[in-house]
Amino acid sequence: MAEAKSADFVVIGSGIVGSLTALKLVQSGASVLILEAGPRVTRAETVARFRNSPERSDWMSAYPLRPWAPHPKYHPEDNGYLVQAGPYPYPAEYIRQVGGTTWHWAAHAWRNVPNDFKIRSLYGIGVDWPLSYEELEPFYQEAEEIMGVSGAPNTGSPRSKPFPMEPVAEPYAMRRIRERLAPAYPVVTNTTARNSRSYGGRPACCGNNSCQPICPIDAQYHGGLAAASAEAAGAKLIPNANVYKLDHDATGRITAALYYDPEKSSHRVTGKTFIVAANGIESPRLLLLSASDKFPRGLANSSDMVGRNLMDHPSTSLIFDADEELWLGRGPQSPSSINTMRDGPFRARHAAYRLDFTNISRVDSATKALIAEGVYGVEFAKRLRHSAAHELNVKSVLEVLPNPEHRITLSAEKDSMGIPKPQAHYAIDGYTRKGHERARRDYQRIAQLMGGTNLRYSDDYANNQHICGTLSMGRDSHASVCDGWGRAHDHENLFLAGTGIMPTAATVNSTENAVALALRTAHHIVTGK
Amino acid sequence: MRTAVLGVIALIPLGAQAVDSDLVKRGEYLARAGDCIACHTAPGGKPMAGGLAIPTPVGTIVSTNITPSRVHGIGDYSLDEFGSALRAGIRRDGKHLYPAMPYTAYANVSDDDVKALYAYFMQGVTAVSASPPETKLAFPFNIRMAMAAWNTLFLRSEPFRTDPASSTEWNRGAYLVRGLAHCGACHTPRNVFMAEKQSRELGGGDVGPWYAPNITSDATSGVGGWSEEELMAYMGRGDAAGKAQASGPMMEAIDNSLKYLSKGDLRAIAVYVKSVPPLRDTGDSRPAYGWGAPADSLESVRGAALPASLDQMSGPQLYDAYCATCHQAQAQGSFDGRMPALFHNAALGRTNTNNLVMVMLAGAERGEAREVLMPGFASELSDVQVARLGSYLTKRYGNPQATVTPKQAERLRRGGKTLQIVVVVQAATALAGLVLITALVVFLRRGSAKRASMRR
Repeated sequence: MAEAKSADFVVIGSGIVGSLTALKLVQSGASVLILEAGPRVTRAETVARFRNSPERSDWMSAYPLRPWAPHPKYHPEDNGYLVQAGPYPYPAEYIRQVGGTTWHWAAHAWRNVPNDFKIRSLYGIGVDWPLSYEELEPFYQEAEEIMGVSGAPNTGSPRSKPFPMEPVAEPYAMRRIRERLAPAYPVVTNTTARNSRSYGGRPACCGNNSCQPICPIDAQYHGGLAAASAEAAGAKLIPNANVYKLDHDATGRITAALYYDPEKSSHRVTGKTFIVAANGIESPRLLLLSASDKFPRGLANSSDMVGRNLMDHPSTSLIFDADEELWLGRGPQSPSSINTMRDGPFRARHAAYRLDFTNISRVDSATKALIAEGVYGVEFAKRLRHSAAHELNVKSVLEVLPNPEHRITLSAEKDSMGIPKPQAHYAIDGYTRKGHERARRDYQRIAQLMGGTNLRYSDDYANNQHICGTLSMGRDSHASVCDGWGRAHDHENLFLAGTGIMPTAATVNSTENAVALALRTAHHIVTGK
Repeated sequence: MRTAVLGVIALIPLGAQAVDSDLVKRGEYLARAGDCIACHTAPGGKPMAGGLAIPTPVGTIVSTNITPSRVHGIGDYSLDEFGSALRAGIRRDGKHLYPAMPYTAYANVSDDDVKALYAYFMQGVTAVSASPPETKLAFPFNIRMAMAAWNTLFLRSEPFRTDPASSTEWNRGAYLVRGLAHCGACHTPRNVFMAEKQSRELGGGDVGPWYAPNITSDATSGVGGWSEEELMAYMGRGDAAGKAQASGPMMEAIDNSLKYLSKGDLRAIAVYVKSVPPLRDTGDSRPAYGWGAPADSLESVRGAALPASLDQMSGPQLYDAYCATCHQAQAQGSFDGRMPALFHNAALGRTNTNNLVMVMLAGAERGEAREVLMPGFASELSDVQVARLGSYLTKRYGNPQATVTPKQAERLRRGGKTLQIVVVVQAATALAGLVLITALVVFLRRGSAKRASMRR
């Protein structure tokens, strides 16, 4: 065993949540050590890998697997890291490297709407959060100022201060959609952590349209920047440190994190307080892996809720040919959406949702489709041009309710480090399916308003990698893993951070919720308030 | 009748004020031309209140408050005292300024313009009641008298004299370039005493880690091949397509000063620099902007995996990773010119590659909002990578004779961090001169003391 390492705070996971938590803690004068399973990776090498990839539509192709920090990968085939127990697949993607998964994201940085915090009380479904929108609001603002967030003023989330950033220019296609869907549907700019002007020393978006897998110029915020800022403030970061176990003492206090380096030598890191921020699948996995005689079901798991209530925002979609040339692919990949179905009494009956317009160039997908169809020559050029100009994609972002049977467990299979793999048990319930049925009516209307032909529905519930619920916070220690501050009910010096602690998924991409909750946790740790 | 009388009465004070405010306005314009604000304002501080700390090898010089505060600024200065500080480097209390203040150039400023500047500083600048920390250099650099000797040698204490044989425009340009705009402070090389070598006016000089290029009329080494319009575009917004883009200290000079100048004055400056006696730098065979053509090296990149050690990445691989997103596959830049082409670009065409390295490390920013025109890569590129990428760029798109070495990158990286702005460098070079002067004075005094004792 190598030299002992120690700090006031040990943060496990260097993604956007772990790093910004570490930043705030180190700014209070404490010593902070961040443990990251994966390696340090530069933006430029990722850009180089993406530019050089024969599979550019696979957003993970620019992020090579490291055997000492494996992550799920599905192309060209499933690497089997995240074992699927079914009945419905949960093919989540995430990145294990310094900075985590927001290296590739669409930079959506949404707040919930106030009613998302109390759907049990209001609509008799799901659970209430142990805190209100008003309590989280200052931390949403703090997160937005760190990330440089802009958005529309009218999406149902009240603000105490203005956005710190103005939205990027509306792409032509989005303008046409907005004009043609009005007044039936208000199409608004998305709330995103993307620069429309220089901010934080980073340039403005210039429309490379490769937000996923990588913004080549750092115009959008990401966890790599968060990790760099934490280190600049004095936090110590150890990459290639795959934490496989947390140790505790007889009173249940966490005493150490044990990690493997790439040669599988074990190291021990001690600390006064531990923060697990290793994402919605890896965090519960670590708690389950840390089972002991005293805690046979795993740490923080007296409620048996660790890993349960796995959620996401599944998407169904419609692709059609509009009656005018729109040329998707100019500007950011995901600029605009419809937010009218995020809340209302209907939530007692079916899932709420957002409708999102993707702005990813259609050239790659249309080319594949035409080749598969056997089209070639002049006809190919003609049809590719037509598809690239006219195709439009609208998708739902559906709410999923917490269900204890949907869960992450430990698989009997081992990963490349000999550690039990995570296993997903998942299904799409009637509540979400009914939401999709309702969204389908919107698809039809939208296609009609855009003069759409050649309508192609996708009724699959595509995974959006918004891994929520597996470390739910709540007031009832028998029905949740941590309290409203993220502190594990069972361990006084263990805090959980990340999308996993969200008790419900709502209808918006989960990053900003996780960051705001983590900033609130750090604030609580530092000030006691 | 009544209204007419009222009108006349109203006109009197207005008219009197108009003269005064015109003078103040002209003074403000001249203060812009002199770039006073660059040194006399701390980052985020109040205009002209001083406080910019200028680290130099002999200690930190702090710029002074030149607002009209009587206690903390120059509110008590008479017009003559103001003129003396500006043109002779002598404070109201008779002490000498350090030549971080470019009074050797300001010595050219006309009496009328001194009056306008005085009116502006007294009436157009808001008084700030705060004193920045005093400059305290260690002995012997704190002997301000040493400057008297230096001034005797290098200060030409007569204002600019019009050349009747040249055009009004030329004379205006010469007046600005040699005077308020103090272009020579960077672009004229300095002698061993760190004074500008007038025989090599605007022949190019080192400005800390940056290189202020030759801007004489030479068609190969200077700006002889630039049109007046191109020079004006460069000075006005830092961008002359197909020639060069500004960054570093030059961009700061544009931001704080040149972009505020009238078209007429910019044209006058252009006319003058294009008349400065040509100086050819040995080894130059083409203008710096005259090299290169669109090309790519993708055949060596596509399908080749990145090496395990990123220091082993090839030039084309580094280009693909760091540059191609904005400058495009064939280095042709963006269609709208906002991201420049790398061929026909002076940054890649000089044998001196310091500016190329500096822009790769520090990037380019513009304006008060620090608009990032190009991000800096100091925290991402290693010295080996800077050298390999820089040498690839000059070979492929610029002057094939020019190279970048890891040692150069390492040296400039250190210099580039602490010495970002032109004043820093000016002060540093001037101070280095002071070391010599002080040594000289001390030596002379000792000598005379010795002689005196011998006489006794």
